[in-house]
Amino acid sequence: MEPSDEALCERVAKRDEAAFDLLVARYQERAYRLAWSMLRNAEDARDLSQEAFIRLYEAAGSFGGRSKFSTWFYRILVNLCLDHKRKHRWWKLWVRDEGDDRTDPILERQPAPVTDPVDKLSRERTMKELGAAVDRLAPRQRAAVLLRVQEDLATYEIAKVLKCSEATVRVHLHRALTTLKKTVEKR
Amino acid sequence: MAKHLDTDLVPYLRGELPPADRERVARHLEECPDCRQDTEQLRDLLGHLSRSIGQPPGVNWAHYRAELREKLEARRERRVWWWRPAPLVLAASTAGALLLLVAVWSGRETSTGADPFTVEEAAIGRQLGLLQEYQVVERLDLLEDLDVISDLDGLASGRQG
Repeated sequence: MEPSDEALCERVAKRDEAAFDLLVARYQERAYRLAWSMLRNAEDARDLSQEAFIRLYEAAGSFGGRSKFSTWFYRILVNLCLDHKRKHRWWKLWVRDEGDDRTDPILERQPAPVTDPVDKLSRERTMKELGAAVDRLAPRQRAAVLLRVQEDLATYEIAKVLKCSEATVRVHLHRALTTLKKTVEKR
Repeated sequence: MAKHLDTDLVPYLRGELPPADRERVARHLEECPDCRQDTEQLRDLLGHLSRSIGQPPGVNWAHYRAELREKLEARRERRVWWWRPAPLVLAASTAGALLLLVAVWSGRETSTGADPFTVEEAAIGRQLGLLQEYQVVERLDLLEDLDVISDLDGLASGRQG
């Protein structure tokens, strides 16, 4: 039987390198995808997700097992991403980040299964605008939306990752989705 | 009608609410067409969102893990370096030398023979000249009187002439 994430983390605390490699293999794609969704920059996403694994290695001993390993790990990662955004907030106002992947045609990578070309075009545009609107959300609102939609986390788990109450997460989600709904309605 | 259930709708759609709350929301939705419409829109939006966020550029995972290993090793090396005897001795001797320097310097300051001044006393001392002048300035009228007195002889001879 496959060892649980929590058991692997305990082994990492005792400096079991094989357990660390296993955890990395399990979480690398999720970590990179979540970091990319928050930062929209492949290089930063790569760096920060790797940094999250290094922090996990260093702090494995402090994982008390009170929450799920995934929640604990996402908290490390999301905090790193929020800190990164905070540090680069003012810089981005002046300089357009050349490594920003925002211009990538999202739907070329994941086309919607529609047949009518006009309908398809309209749908693609809506999706693109929706994606851009997600990028414009306040960082914590965006984190809440991504953890819900992409990582399929429950409200109580998002609350643990963002270190706030469930009521606050509900408010974050409600405000974010109201903003996004308006974006779609404008079309 | 009860107030709208804005923040309950997402947990309701995900089936996260406890039975009593779920029942309450379901009853409200039966009565409230606005919330019903909101719920439908939210359901669609959540479906669209997962597609609109998209996927990041591809990664060579073997390379990613190798890079991570290198970073981890570098971090470990850096930490271990500080605990080696040489850097520890170096840091301790630098700190000791600095302390010695400070002690010698402060000793020289106090052994000049003069009474040790406090900072406040030194500041008052610097202002002493100004304070003395201040008394003179206060008595400017007296200075004017002195001028008149010194010119009295001239005034007297002028009158005589």
